[in-house]
Amino acid sequence: MARKTIFIDFSKCIECRACEVACEREHNGMSFINVFEWQEMAAMALNCRHCEAAPCVEVCPTNALYRDEDGAVILAPQRCIGCLMCGIVCPFGIPELDLINKIMGKCDLCAHRRKEGKEPACAATCPTDALIFGDFDEIQRRRREKFTEKAIEVAKKAEKISLLGV
Amino acid sequence: MAEELIPVVCPYCGVGCRLYIRVVDGYPVGIEYATDIPGISNEKGKLCPKGNAVIEYLLAKDRLKKPLKAKEQGKFVEISWSEAIKEVAERLKTYAKDDPNQLMFFGSARTFNEPNYLIQKLARMLGTNNVDHCARLCHAPTVSGLKQVFGAGAMTNTYKDIEEADVIFIIGHNYAETHPVGFRYVLKAKERGAKVIVADPRFTRTAWFADIFLQHYPGTDIALINGLIHVIIKEKLYDAKFVRERCVGFDEVVKAVEKFTPEYVEKITGVPADLIVEAARTFATAGKGVITWAMGLTQHTHGHDNVRLLGTLSAICGYQGKEGCGCAPMRGQNNVQGACDMAALPNVFPGYQAVTNPEKRKFFEEFWGVELNGEVGLTVIEAAHAIDEGKVKAYYIMGENPVISDANANHVIKALQKLEFMVVQDIVPTPTMEFADIVLPAAAMLENEGSLTNTERRVQWSFPAVKPPGEARPDWWILSEVGKAVGFDRDGSKGFRYNEAADVLREINACTPQYRGITPERLKANLAGIHWPCPSPDHPGTRFLYKDRFLTPDGKAHLAAVDYRGPVELPDEEYPFILTTMRYVGMYHTLTMTGRSEALVKRWKEPLAEIHPDDAAKLGIRTVDWIKIETRRGVYPIRAKVTRAVKKGVIAVPWHWAANVLTNDALDPVAKIPETKACACRVAKISEEEAKKLMEKLPQIIPRIEVVKG
Ligand code: SF4
Ligand code: SF4
Ligand code: SF4
Repeated sequence: MARKTIFIDFSKCIECRACEVACEREHNGMSFINVFEWQEMAAMALNCRHCEAAPCVEVCPTNALYRDEDGAVILAPQRCIGCLMCGIVCPFGIPELDLINKIMGKCDLCAHRRKEGKEPACAATCPTDALIFGDFDEIQRRRREKFTEKAIEVAKKAEKISLLGV
Repeated sequence: MAEELIPVVCPYCGVGCRLYIRVVDGYPVGIEYATDIPGISNEKGKLCPKGNAVIEYLLAKDRLKKPLKAKEQGKFVEISWSEAIKEVAERLKTYAKDDPNQLMFFGSARTFNEPNYLIQKLARMLGTNNVDHCARLCHAPTVSGLKQVFGAGAMTNTYKDIEEADVIFIIGHNYAETHPVGFRYVLKAKERGAKVIVADPRFTRTAWFADIFLQHYPGTDIALINGLIHVIIKEKLYDAKFVRERCVGFDEVVKAVEKFTPEYVEKITGVPADLIVEAARTFATAGKGVITWAMGLTQHTHGHDNVRLLGTLSAICGYQGKEGCGCAPMRGQNNVQGACDMAALPNVFPGYQAVTNPEKRKFFEEFWGVELNGEVGLTVIEAAHAIDEGKVKAYYIMGENPVISDANANHVIKALQKLEFMVVQDIVPTPTMEFADIVLPAAAMLENEGSLTNTERRVQWSFPAVKPPGEARPDWWILSEVGKAVGFDRDGSKGFRYNEAADVLREINACTPQYRGITPERLKANLAGIHWPCPSPDHPGTRFLYKDRFLTPDGKAHLAAVDYRGPVELPDEEYPFILTTMRYVGMYHTLTMTGRSEALVKRWKEPLAEIHPDDAAKLGIRTVDWIKIETRRGVYPIRAKVTRAVKKGVIAVPWHWAANVLTNDALDPVAKIPETKACACRVAKISEEEAKKLMEKLPQIIPRIEVVKG
């Protein structure tokens, strides 16, 4: 099954935090994507990776975490008991405690938007396409394609390199 | 009630992004991305954080809902619209009778074309050309400089051309933070293999993406650009054919840049000579080049010359009049281009037709049916000085906040206190309102309809999405009521009788050559808008200017030969640092809107002054320590951020939180823009208590308006 997810192209993030503001708007004031600044300038957005072998899903004692048809790891609020286990085992520190509802909160890849055929809000808004929503393998294939395109472009420009060798 | 999607234009920056407001029964419940409108400036409906948070400020609790009248300074009583209009009209009439030049009007880049047209029409029909707006504080040098070189003061190209360029030279413009959605096209070009050259005193987010980064000292732009031109001419990398056929003044340029060898330029700017050579070669040999700039280039006493030099650089490389090329001044506000086009400027009628030109004046005298003043009026900063001299006595301010936005804010405050009469028309209480006699509650942009012109000369229609609160009214309505009450009560273009914003645009179509074919009907049917010039209703609009000739009288580009001038105030023993100002991606100008948006305030809580680690170590300053910055004009408390983003000797502060108490109001002699981007300052570590004390003396960003009982 093709798994749709959010690909993060770290080289393109401008730390504008539009993704955070958009996520927060769509999730009642909680943002499940965060942007971090490193070495004064490099920036990096991070959200739930919706892992293939998700430790959070494995560990959840009430089966509140499950995978939906797009492959997103979703939390069923009525089953969550707020035991924090998913948060503890997640290597990225993603699930957070939603103190108001006394359950965990995490990225659901905007389930309500996907239902209407729309992209998750963070990817929809990201001005630079640092966040791309799609089938992971498809995105990878496009990246490979772009790389070769660029390599050939460079080869064409450099006079001394003969294209025969490429 | 069913949910509706209303197409609007983002009320913030000059990119002019389209989005939908999700509305239920006149109440905004969210936004949706405009993924389904082809050809808009924000491809795929992309938005920056401000665009994502647009509905928050609409719902601010302190929105103005009733007209107010001051009992004493800062204390108001509520009055009715008819009382307010009557009082404003009568006072305006009295001053106009005596001497119309006692009046000063402020148009606004924060509202539509229609009200800007109306406010300048009102001023001019009353007999004065004293009308200006905040473009004076941002892109006045762009308008004056580009007009001199190419004949029109606007971006020569569109975002499409940035995307298609092979080299992009970004100077004094933190593109990634100030216009994030526009920056998308830089990254797209880069992905294609285009080279990006960034010149900025700070290592900005934009610089992070540069192939070549030139970190010059604030205010040394002339030397830097002359240095680039020097190399290009010396190495014969310029487009000789283009220079021969389409430019004049090349020989003077050759002479003027002769001494600007890379080594000489290195001494002034601090940019290594070999980087200057590399940048010049990269720029001139790319084939298709775009130059973009913003406040870092314009807000100087030599802003006008900076712009002319960029025009010259672009022209000698032959980067004009074709696709993938051009000069792209990036506008900060979503309608600053429109407010200029509509002539909220003291020297021109709509469409940049000079007030001093008797022929143009005659046209407008017939069009508006009154005699018109042929003398150029006052600019924003000149008006504040004219108050001191007792020449200007009344202000009509529509949607501006000079107490925060103008350089040397303390002087502005003193001037405003001296005014006899001041009207402020706005959506929320601002620090400027403190001094108002009459406050008129306006509908916000998303509650209102009209046309807006983005940085690419793209005119778009924004539809009313939300009901305005209380008795707040659209700007065009308020001005048309005032106009009628003043006595301009005739039909058609000779009066102020309008039924809707579209009526005003039709009048604009009739008198503004560039907008002739941009009718309300066309705009409403075509959400991606039309790029002016658009001379007739069947004209598709114009992507890039100057294909065959420039708009100067002789059709040639007038190259600029300019000698070096730095900032007027340089560091000395007393004030050893250079201060420059900047902004944050999630905050906007004087914070009237973003400061009322929780999602943004949470992320961009407070300003931080950037200081180099070596300077910080000498002064014993660490990140988050309180410091005070002092200039000859004011003191400002702020927390420090120790970072290598600035050079040694440079301090950078975001200006949103009233930092203009520090900046210099020395003016560019031509563009009359104050030098807010470079002045001398000193820095000292202070205690939190002292910082709090100093803070109390600053103008309040989000003031409370005191309404007392009648
Ligand atoms: S919206 Fe995109 S560019 Fe902006 S912070 Fe998020 S990931 Fe980075
Ligand atoms: S919450 Fe953590 S462990 Fe679970 S899917 Fe997301 S990233 Fe993986
Ligand atoms: S880039 Fe400018 S126009 Fe676009 S969403 Fe951001 S502020 Fe609004």
